[in-house]
Amino acid sequence: MEMSWHYLTQQLINALSYGSILALLAIGYTMIYGILGLINFAHGEIFMIGAFFCYMLVTFSGVSFLTGFFAAIAGSVLTGFLIERFVYNPCLKRSPEVLTVFIASFGASLGLRNLFTMIFGDGRRSFPAFDFLEGIIITESGIFINIKDLWIFGVTLFLVLATTLFIKYTKPGIAMRAVAYDANAARLVGVNSTTLVLVAFFIGSTLAGVSAVAYGVSYGIVNPSMGYIIGLNGFIAAVLGGIGNVPGAAISGYIIGMGEIMFVALLPPSYSAVRPIFVWGLLFLILFLKPSGLFRPNVKIG
Amino acid sequence: MKKTTKILLGLLLLAGLLFMADSFLRGYYLRLVVLFAVTAVTALGVNIVNGYTNIFSLGFGGTMMVAAYTAALLTLSPAYKKAVLHLPLWLEQMQTSFPVAMLCGGALAVIASTILLLPAFRLQGQYFILASMGVNIVMGNLAENLRGFTHGDMGLRSIPAYTNIWWAYGVLALVVYFIHRLIQSKYGRALVAISKDQELAAVMGINVVKYKIVSFVIGSFITGMGAVLWVHLVLTMNPKAFGLVYVFQIVAMLAIGGIGTISGTLIGAAILTLGTELLSPVQEGFSLLGFQIPPAFGLVNVLMAVLLVVIMIYKPRGIMNGREIWEVAGPRVRKNASS
Repeated sequence: MEMSWHYLTQQLINALSYGSILALLAIGYTMIYGILGLINFAHGEIFMIGAFFCYMLVTFSGVSFLTGFFAAIAGSVLTGFLIERFVYNPCLKRSPEVLTVFIASFGASLGLRNLFTMIFGDGRRSFPAFDFLEGIIITESGIFINIKDLWIFGVTLFLVLATTLFIKYTKPGIAMRAVAYDANAARLVGVNSTTLVLVAFFIGSTLAGVSAVAYGVSYGIVNPSMGYIIGLNGFIAAVLGGIGNVPGAAISGYIIGMGEIMFVALLPPSYSAVRPIFVWGLLFLILFLKPSGLFRPNVKIG
Repeated sequence: MKKTTKILLGLLLLAGLLFMADSFLRGYYLRLVVLFAVTAVTALGVNIVNGYTNIFSLGFGGTMMVAAYTAALLTLSPAYKKAVLHLPLWLEQMQTSFPVAMLCGGALAVIASTILLLPAFRLQGQYFILASMGVNIVMGNLAENLRGFTHGDMGLRSIPAYTNIWWAYGVLALVVYFIHRLIQSKYGRALVAISKDQELAAVMGINVVKYKIVSFVIGSFITGMGAVLWVHLVLTMNPKAFGLVYVFQIVAMLAIGGIGTISGTLIGAAILTLGTELLSPVQEGFSLLGFQIPPAFGLVNVLMAVLLVVIMIYKPRGIMNGREIWEVAGPRVRKNASS
């Protein structure tokens, strides 16, 4: 019993980074879904391109970690804006049908991923290591904690808090919640939703960029299809958290991340390859039992 | 001329063309002609669900995987199965003819898609799309891990080459005829009514759930047949064959050609099959006037994605815009209801 408790704690610590990566992605999904009513299918590619910006600059120009970090954010935000400008905006203007826009975003996602495959090849590239992130703390009870996991968790916590406060108390934040709740009513009282869409893309993409650096630091690799499965998991976290609910999305990111790691840890090793079944099983379960998610969603249901 | 005479003449013309193609085209070009028909069968099956009934499902990749593996296991030689797989003895010994394998593949596709996707019917809109996507991921994952049946990532090889031009176009002609009749029937009109306005259709006395399920069954069966034809043309099968990229290509075909029409689906399938094959030498790199053009894997998908986005912006209902080619070309007898 003593032993297994120790083992479980260790697994939870190991899941900190993965949970943080999902939490940051989930906030991006939830904000854009909240304001546009659309799954941003290309969010995983926004994430991937951020990681590549950081990787390229640090590996080939030898810039510092901080520059690489901001380059990732810049890359993600640029991608987010380009997608908004050239895919969502013209689609929504011409035909408000959700399916059309969804297919277009599906196209944008596959197109960007294949563009990067074309340029960089589909192989994994090793993400640079940074000295201050390396090292392990060993607690008295013998639990190993990576310094980088602590950093990732700390930065994520800060960003989640900042985003929550922004959404809750600032004027654009309140306006965003209003649009998510009832776009027409918000327009009637003079909310400019065009700017707000850009704000949502800006925040979502920024968080995706941070998440991408966290992924690179944590797993040590980048590749063009890195955003696919993890992006879908991030979206599942957003659904679990109640669409439009920022802290809910973040907490659900950790729930899914830790659940997935635990699922692998508790089952015999021969089952570890069936990880996706856990995540999708969980999604089906949630959508059946509580389609609005675990936390209160900020959208009108029905 | 009477309508039946016209159809018979058309079929005769098609048979003549196919006979010529079969005798004069060789290797690569013949394969291309066959591949178009195979892809068109798949796309038409998907179109019944995603187009006419307007249940936008991405789960057909998983359905196709089930059909393709089923048919491959039925047509592979017992010696090969004994060598690489761990199957129950009856399945290992069994070797059926191609039509039986195709029917079994279609039937299992129906069963699999019903089990996997019926629960998802309770979901609405984009949630359903996402859940159906999960079906692909989970099925791909299972195929990678059930090595006894699928040989995992290594895939199945030496599948007998049953799909020829006659099989492919025979099935295609049947499917086109069947869908055409289906859509003209009371049943098909109910499907189109559901796709326009589900609540209104229900108020009119259409049993929405029943019609949706039947359309799903028919669509899955045709898609499954497409997968069986595909696997006996390509002759290998692996868990990634019907992955996201394949699903994307089929969706792109439907969306570009015109979702919810037969001719749009055929046009989309033609554009994308020919485009993919013509551009694939560019993808693999070549030398032009002494310059070495580097390979660019994924170029086809990038161009396809750009085309898809442009079409979605400027022609959201595809090239055919919800009409059939004979409705556009011929005299407009009835006001068309689907634009």
